[in-house]
Amino acid sequence: MSKALATNQGFGRVLVVLYAIFAIGATARSVLQLATRFDEAPVAYVLSAFAAVVYVVATVALARGDRTSNRIAFIAIAIEMAGVLIVGTISLLLPEYFPRASVWSTYGSGYLFIPLVLPFIGLWWLRKVAKSEPTH
Amino acid sequence: MTGAFSTATIIVGLVIALWALVYLLIKRPVDRYLQAGTLLLAAMFVVLAIGGIVQMVGADQEFARAEFVGYLLLSPLIPLGGWWWAKNDESRWGSGVILVVGLVMPVLVVRIQQVWAGV
Repeated sequence: MSKALATNQGFGRVLVVLYAIFAIGATARSVLQLATRFDEAPVAYVLSAFAAVVYVVATVALARGDRTSNRIAFIAIAIEMAGVLIVGTISLLLPEYFPRASVWSTYGSGYLFIPLVLPFIGLWWLRKVAKSEPTH
Repeated sequence: MTGAFSTATIIVGLVIALWALVYLLIKRPVDRYLQAGTLLLAAMFVVLAIGGIVQMVGADQEFARAEFVGYLLLSPLIPLGGWWWAKNDESRWGSGVILVVGLVMPVLVVRIQQVWAGV
């Protein structure tokens, strides 16, 4: 039996850094958008703000790495996955709601599709960590 | 903003990414040399931020100034945070963290240059 993994150790460190970069970037961008030009694209900007909150929660939960945090991280990353898939699809079907891009528009194509790949890696990692825990 | 110094930050970022990739592949944790390199990268972004803001004050062209300053002020935090997170990691994944940082920073420089140019 290999020793129990933690979400904030090993490969998890790389994931925390990726999430942290998106959390910082999305939060900063969103504060700026809401403060200076909310009227241009309210839907896209509110979604950007929501995405920023999701990234912050996921980052903190992954970095903490205890059992409760893992559950919170799972929920946050599941919302993130749903968000990027739903917003990505809507932004293609109804582009008039997205005159300005949000992080999740067209599946995160403005960010090298990292927003699309990240939640899949995140859920895979949480599952791997959960499996490594000794069963009581 | 598009001068030799910003090109140098791109090159240093890529060199650090390549260096960290080698460490990751040969399963080596971050050593003090790679740590020093990451701190150098952070210092270069502090210089870039100061230089960029000074240049912006003297510039007349139209561009997203708040966005520009935001990028400049937040970007040094990424190599600093990556350095701190990696130095506490004794596994090879500390090198993985620095690899991510080394790849992200050149992208940020390009993005900052785009904002400067009004894109």
